[in-house]
Amino acid sequence: MSAERRIEDLLRELAPQVLGLLVRRHGQFDACEDAVQEALLAAAMQWAKDGVPDSPRSWLVTAASRRLVDEWRSESARRRREEAVAALELPDRGHAPDRDDTLTLLFLCCHPSLSVPSQLALTLRAVGGLTTTEIANAFLVPEATMAQRISRAKQRIRSAGTRFDLPPEPERADRLHVVLHVLYLVFNEGYTTSSGPALHRADLTTEAIRLARMLHHLVPAEAEAAGLLALMLLTDARRAARTTADGLIVPLAEQRRELWSKARIEEGIALVTRTLGTAPIGPYQLPAAIAAVHDEAPRAEETDWPQILALYEVLERVSPGPVVTLNRAVAVAMVDGPRAGLALLGTLDTDDRMAHNHRLEAVRGHLLELAGDTPAARESYQRAARATASLPEQQYLALRAARLD
Amino acid sequence: MKYLIMMFGDQASMMEMRSKEWIVEMIDFMNKFSDDLANAGELVSAEGLADASRAKTVRIEDGVPVATDGPFAESKESLAGYWIVDVENEARAIELASRVVAFTHGPIEVRQIADAPPEL
Repeated sequence: MSAERRIEDLLRELAPQVLGLLVRRHGQFDACEDAVQEALLAAAMQWAKDGVPDSPRSWLVTAASRRLVDEWRSESARRRREEAVAALELPDRGHAPDRDDTLTLLFLCCHPSLSVPSQLALTLRAVGGLTTTEIANAFLVPEATMAQRISRAKQRIRSAGTRFDLPPEPERADRLHVVLHVLYLVFNEGYTTSSGPALHRADLTTEAIRLARMLHHLVPAEAEAAGLLALMLLTDARRAARTTADGLIVPLAEQRRELWSKARIEEGIALVTRTLGTAPIGPYQLPAAIAAVHDEAPRAEETDWPQILALYEVLERVSPGPVVTLNRAVAVAMVDGPRAGLALLGTLDTDDRMAHNHRLEAVRGHLLELAGDTPAARESYQRAARATASLPEQQYLALRAARLD
Repeated sequence: MKYLIMMFGDQASMMEMRSKEWIVEMIDFMNKFSDDLANAGELVSAEGLADASRAKTVRIEDGVPVATDGPFAESKESLAGYWIVDVENEARAIELASRVVAFTHGPIEVRQIADAPPEL
């Protein structure tokens, strides 16, 4: 690893700790966040030149605090200083500050009063330590737009009067679920290869895994946080095999499994094994367990479909929904034959939630193809291609249909 | 989610039929609309197009691409301008389009840009 890369990793790891400490001392999340960003930039330049200081964390805290003070000295910031003094009277409750602060920051950035795009952007900047430019590049929007989105999110947090505290116990589970969802969306966004430089998108996947790993270490007893990390690892393990060199999607059954990442699979399976049965099984652990069964099969034909079907049946009880039924239909088809799977799919035709979902037709096309009904399969693939909002998926489905001519 | 919000119509004849006050108000409205989008952190890009009478349409004729004067669609159905927005959901894109339609009374088409993550 290059020195530059090592410094960047260190800075990104320290970013939420330093920010948490500053917000706890001074209140004013938005001003502290700006100050920490500036300190991170200064550190990246100075450390690369002079080497990493003995106590990098204190260096950053000092640099960021100095910037905060400079900001307060300016005339226009006087009013905010008064607010800051009021915020200084936070009680110190003698807890493990780094750990709780980073977790509190995550909850704050994923505050339910923010829109989902704002939650994603703010989490990546304040907890992930990414710059606005990097986040704008990753989401393919102009930098000014991303800067405005982040600034609006911070304003909203300020006007909501949110305190820098962990959510109270009765809200904890729901709030944690929002955090998990935001990290999952970051991961999913990274999985997009449709437009723009694929490199940036892959970086989002890496970042989502880093944040999920961090969250898992902060709340090791939360089985769903472990489940989310496992799901990401077991999905990302297939990244190299998922598309051809020119970006076309390769379905799971046709992927070259020797390209899968053994390290990711081992880590994911270990997580699933360790957490299964320690807590009520939830909507991230189950898909992780299913991904593990897929990843364990050396060849597609050796996939343990009865096991996958059993897991989908549990998932359907734990978090029922048409998408789960859709996935279960695939497992049913693999265990009991394509006609059985198609019958189950038929139950979704009247479900309004699936009316514009391309996956229903894509799966139907696949099962019809397995059943040997080529003309109907072709039509389903074509309908699915028209319904998807993903360009690579549209191309994949159009090719599937054309192949059946 | 990114959406292309397309405004149709023949600007020249629209302007000719309106009062000076309306035109000034329209310019203000469009500026404010774009500012609001930028302030909300939702704007990706926005452009107004030169009049459709200046358009060239390129078609294949006898196996060769040939450019002719004029827009592809009838000028009253021609694209006049567009916004690309990055918003939370389709409802928000429609809400934005509705604001413009309420002012211009002209039709607007809202199309999702195909950059959603694949789910296969």
